[in-house]
Amino acid sequence: MTLFKLIPTSGQPLYLQLMQQIRHAAETGALQNGDQLPGIRTLAEELVVSPNTVAKAYSELEHEGLLEMRQGAGAFVCVKRRTRLLTDHVHAARAKVRDLIEELRENGLQDEEIRRAFEAELLIPAAIARKR
Amino acid sequence: MLWYKAWLETRWRFLVCLALILLPAYEFFHLGTTLRSWEVDEPFPYFRRLFYSHAGSATVWQFAAIFLGLGGLVRERATGSSSLTLTLPVSRGRLVGVRVGVGVVEATALAVAPWVANLLTSAFRGTPFSASQAACCILLLAGGGMVYFAMAVLVSSVVEGEYTAVAIAFGVVILAYALSRDVEWLKALNLFPLVTGSGYVNKETFLFPEALPWSSILASLSVAGLMVFASIAIIQRREF
Amino acid sequence: MNGARVIQTNALSKSYGRVQAVRNLNLAVEANRITGFLGRNGAGKSTTIKMLLGLIRPTEGGGTVLGKQITHREGNRKTRQRVAYVAEDKPLYRYMTVEQMIRFTASFYGDWRPEISRKLLLEYELPPDRKVKTLSKGMRTKLALLLAFSRNPDLLILDEPSEGLDPVMIEHLLQTMVAQAGQGAAVFFSSHQIAEVERIADQVCILDRGCLLLDTSLDRLRESYRRIDLVLPSEAAEHEFRIPGVERIRTNGRQVSVFASGNAEAVIERAHDFHAISVEVAPVGLREIFLETVKEN
Repeated sequence: MTLFKLIPTSGQPLYLQLMQQIRHAAETGALQNGDQLPGIRTLAEELVVSPNTVAKAYSELEHEGLLEMRQGAGAFVCVKRRTRLLTDHVHAARAKVRDLIEELRENGLQDEEIRRAFEAELLIPAAIARKR
Repeated sequence: MLWYKAWLETRWRFLVCLALILLPAYEFFHLGTTLRSWEVDEPFPYFRRLFYSHAGSATVWQFAAIFLGLGGLVRERATGSSSLTLTLPVSRGRLVGVRVGVGVVEATALAVAPWVANLLTSAFRGTPFSASQAACCILLLAGGGMVYFAMAVLVSSVVEGEYTAVAIAFGVVILAYALSRDVEWLKALNLFPLVTGSGYVNKETFLFPEALPWSSILASLSVAGLMVFASIAIIQRREF
Repeated sequence: MNGARVIQTNALSKSYGRVQAVRNLNLAVEANRITGFLGRNGAGKSTTIKMLLGLIRPTEGGGTVLGKQITHREGNRKTRQRVAYVAEDKPLYRYMTVEQMIRFTASFYGDWRPEISRKLLLEYELPPDRKVKTLSKGMRTKLALLLAFSRNPDLLILDEPSEGLDPVMIEHLLQTMVAQAGQGAAVFFSSHQIAEVERIADQVCILDRGCLLLDTSLDRLRESYRRIDLVLPSEAAEHEFRIPGVERIRTNGRQVSVFASGNAEAVIERAHDFHAISVEVAPVGLREIFLETVKEN
């Protein structure tokens, strides 16, 4: 299962990255309701990350209700309607980003510059960004 | 499997020494049943032959005992495997003890081997053979001489270089011999009469008296034991 | 299970004459974690590990491994039953064959897993009848690792495990370390390959000149460490940016580069106070954190 790719140097804890990617997979339909995710140890070995990373991600997602941990059987996806609503939000956001990137490209910005701009802005915590 | 490891480490040394120590026994076999001119007037020519064959083997044995005692953990440090051996869930005392145990068994086997060969030769030829002569010789050699082995173990628990350890071990033997000649009260340091049996054998019969020098054998074994304990203590305190 | 310390040292020190190899080390390694141990050559990593395993004695202080005092001979021996260790020089007995090494090692440990050993023997393509002295360095490393990985220890200590291995093998090594962690072993490994540590470690300890400079979780590092590059309208004094959390500041005219271990928000606010023309925030990788931490020392 090469759905997930964790980047150790991206400035974000790996378990958060994994959580986001699992959520994204659920939102886009790559993971459907009832699908089983690999066990903690199996996924950790596949991704070559610490089992604690996978365990924390699964545990947090279980709290959120996206995953259901069944004793001995593993982690199962529960896509609820709330998540489907989120999917719509994500689709809308993707459209906005698409338009913005087109605009920036027309203004002469290189893709690399665009990416760095997004990354830099994202690293500024939301509270500070709002103050500006 | 520490015994197996100790065997693998000393295997070739042991086999080479075994071949060398059997040379006098081969010589004994080669002499055949014809008496030589200097033997014709002897009352017990075959016991004489056996004794002198033993003297040859005993000389080889003293060198062999030293060779078998060399090596060990300090040597392993130089060759790079000590951090493997020392992190095994085994006490350092046991590591040294097993090495000493294997060495003692090997040394004893070397002491016994020529006599087994001579026994077979005598049985095959139908010539006289004395079990008590054999037993006394073996006892005096291995019992009295084990201190050579222990000394080599002690030296190699202190000295790291392979050649240095050999040199020092032989140096000790030579020094002890020299001191025993020149200094009256250190006469006991000369072990040759005890170890080869030449100090106690009857020069007519080439057999041994009823009472063996048990106190000397025990003293020698005690010194050997102390040397082994000292080696263990040194290894236990040493940093690797 | 978290909270149990597999390794705990108290003011552990080791001197060789006037040289202090390890100074007042208070190392705490937790169970159920992968802990990376970083440091320059000669920083004292191997010396620390040797003290933990009873190879050398501390000059001062002490510690416990799996709850047993390291200076207590018999306790330390019992602990070694449950610790798998691969030294930096991957020691083996040159006169033994691959198979003999495996049988020899297996005989000492109750947690030996023959099926894993067979699997690894095939995967690593090690010829069972070849003597160790005829093996290449890479194969010897693989064998030394096999002897540790074929066990199910409570603590796995690896000193520079990836040295001499090709990239394919390194990937396999990391996977196996993760697998060991998955089956309950605490993994404690030192490495110069910072990228490896960054991938799999939960916790990282940085040792320099015998002292522990940093001991923190990688997640916290990822969240908190930032490099903030500013361009200010006019030259600003360095001390304006000396806020708690800032580790290093470099200025070049109107350009200011701030390396912060936390509190990046305050730096950004200060930059805005100075009407910064541009503020760029970037994450800091473990390599940079290591270099900066060690340089400062």
